Formats: sequence, C-alpha cells, structure tokens
Amino acid sequence: MTVLELRDVHRVHGTGETAVNALKGTSLTVGPGELIAVMGPSGSGKSTLLNLAGGLDSPTSGQVLVDGTSLQSLSRKQLAAWRRKRIGYVFQNLNLIASLTAAENVALPLDLDGVRGSRRQAEQALSEVDLDGYADRFPDEMSGGQQQRVAIARALIGERRLVLADEPTGALDSRTGETVLRLLRAKVDAGAAAVLVTHDARHAAWADRVVFLRDGVVVDVSSRDQPEELLSTP
Amino acid sequence: MSVKHGLLALLERGPMYGYQLRVAFDSATGGTWPLNIGQVYTTLSRLERDDLVAALPENEGQRPYEITAQGRDELKKWFATPVQRSDRPRDEVAIKLALAITTPGVDVARVVMTQRTATMRTLQEYTRLKTQPGDLPWLLVLDAMIFQAEAELRWLDHCEASLLRYEPRPVPAATDVEVPR
Repeated sequence: MTVLELRDVHRVHGTGETAVNALKGTSLTVGPGELIAVMGPSGSGKSTLLNLAGGLDSPTSGQVLVDGTSLQSLSRKQLAAWRRKRIGYVFQNLNLIASLTAAENVALPLDLDGVRGSRRQAEQALSEVDLDGYADRFPDEMSGGQQQRVAIARALIGERRLVLADEPTGALDSRTGETVLRLLRAKVDAGAAAVLVTHDARHAAWADRVVFLRDGVVVDVSSRDQPEELLSTP
Repeated sequence: MSVKHGLLALLERGPMYGYQLRVAFDSATGGTWPLNIGQVYTTLSRLERDDLVAALPENEGQRPYEITAQGRDELKKWFATPVQRSDRPRDEVAIKLALAITTPGVDVARVVMTQRTATMRTLQEYTRLKTQPGDLPWLLVLDAMIFQAEAELRWLDHCEASLLRYEPRPVPAATDVEVPR
C-alpha cells in the first residue's frame, strides 16, 4: 500500500500578477521501504512539496493522500491528529525541545494523544537508533549527530510510518551526516517510507529514487533499480 | 598512476608471483581498474630490466618477484610526489558539453539532464555498495569515486543554471575560417 501519494498537485502562492506557481502538477508515490530524495535549485518547489506532503500546507488543486486518506478531506483538528499519529518530521535545526530530555522529546507525540507506556516506547525507539543510556539527557548535553538521531527516533515513534526530512544533515559534518543517513536508510529498509529534501547529491544517493524539480515541475527521476551492477565489492 | 608503481607497492609487502599480484591489485582497487595477467607480466619484465624488482628461483612452477633497494627508492619517491591534475585523462563530459553548446541543433539541456541522471545512478550504486561491509582501503577508493561523482553533479547543476542565462555568440562557420597553407 502506498504511504504517501501526491496526485497532480498544484500550489500557487499569492494572487494576481505576483502569484507564484510553486508546484505545477506534481505526482509522486512513496511506498513502504522506499526512500525518495527531492533535489532542485532554490525556489524549485522542494519545500512546498514537503509541506504539502506533511499537511502543513494545502494544494491549490490536486490531492495529497497519506495511508490512503486525503488530507484535504480532514478538518483542521482531524488533520492535526492525523499528522501527529502518521507523520514524522526531521529538520535541519530546531528539532528538539530544549527543556525536555531525549526520552521526553521522543515520547511527546504519544503523550499528546494520551498513549500509555510512552516512556517505554521512547526508550525502545532510542535504543533502535543506538542511543541506549541517553534517555535522560537534555539536547544540549548531546552532539549534533546524536540530536538528529533522537529526531529520527521521534519521527518514527508509535504508528508513524512516514518521515519527511528537510536537509537533516545540513548542520552536521560529512561523517556524522552519513551516520544519520545510514540510520534513516535502515529505518526505511525496515518498512518506513521517507522523503528527503537535500541539496547534496551524496546524501540524495542514499535514496531509491531521486526526483529533480525545476520551477515546480519534476524534470527527471533517477532510480537505483538497475539491472546492471557497476562495481562489485572485493 | 602507473601499473608499475602499483606493483612496486604490492611487492613491498613481500615477494609475489604474477597471478598473486593481479589478485592483490584487484583487491586494492576494488575492481575499479581491472588488469589482465599479460599487463602484469609485461610490467614485471620492464621493472626487472630497470632493476626495480628481481626474479627469485622458481617455486612449484611459479616465479616470484621481490622489490630491490632501487625499487624501494622509486616507490618512496612516488609516494612523496603529488599527482598533478594534468596527469589525469581529459574529462570527456566537459568536452562533450562544450561541443554540444557550439553544435547546431543539439538540445544542450537534454545532454546535461541525461548525464546528470546517469551520474546520479552511478552515485546511488556506489552508495549502495557502502552499506556492505568492506575494508578501509576499499571504502576510501569508493569514497573517492563518490566524491568525484558528486563533483560532476554539482558542475552539471552549475552548467544548467548557466545555460538558462546563456546568449550564444555567433559561431564562425567552417567557410569563414582561414585555412593556413
């Protein structure tokens, strides 16, 4: 089953002469076990695409479906609950709440819904991102890479199967960034679905498909499902 | 780099015969530079001629080679000398694109895009290999290829942006060019 689907999505910002067509008829599907990278120059519509996929913005026309439900069919309150239960976000900055511990940050989406046993689930999620023993640390007691791993743990807590990541490695050095991507890849291989917006081709290369956007249009898609192997490991 | 220096570096580990050298070379370069056994023996005989390696007595029908003191000096010099960019082969992608811009009727944007998709696929394949276990020398060779592919993609993005602003100057037709006599 498709986790995320964009059907002929258009998004116009503003009206009249100053209107900007941020997306001009984009269609995209992301299934479980799939990591999709979105690349393109500044202003190509990458962030608009991510905001629409996460229900943070609404399309001017077209449909956005998460787990088969059209986000436009939900009331504001329903949409907020849907986002909390189904969609996880990882951003470059401002990922974690400074006054909450790692476990409290991860458990937050569950606590907001009154889910019991959230602490245990959060500890389990932290363990899955190799952060055993970090549950009671505050964000400023952790490195940038560790904080980003907490953000990934939070993005996939509970029933969430969709991660939307906007330049998640932007503030990290090359090696730490790679660790975060390896982790995201492992989570996707275990059944999650993810959309990664990035400027960095090396990071996009972790994806199954790379979508190139230009002026709100998908101009190219590179897939790694190829019959031939370029190299073999020795 | 030459095969010559590669073989000298491998022989510094200890004496080896042709087939062993081929296997070790393949493993050190992650199969990115396939050598045939003929190249190995031709190179070995040149190295022997120049006193950089010496043949040892035959052992079970195989003739091992060892590095000489002179060979060791040559190897030290090689490691101490940086590789010049001018020593590397010309970049066919850059040349192709330059020609595409000046050749009538070529959709340059399409050329850029086709190359970008191909290079991105290559980068995806290299990255997939990184998820498999491997020794550090191989991983670093792989990283080198990854960074080179990334650089090409960045350059292609730059080309695409530059093409959007490009207003071609008239290219002299072949008949306008004076042919020296």
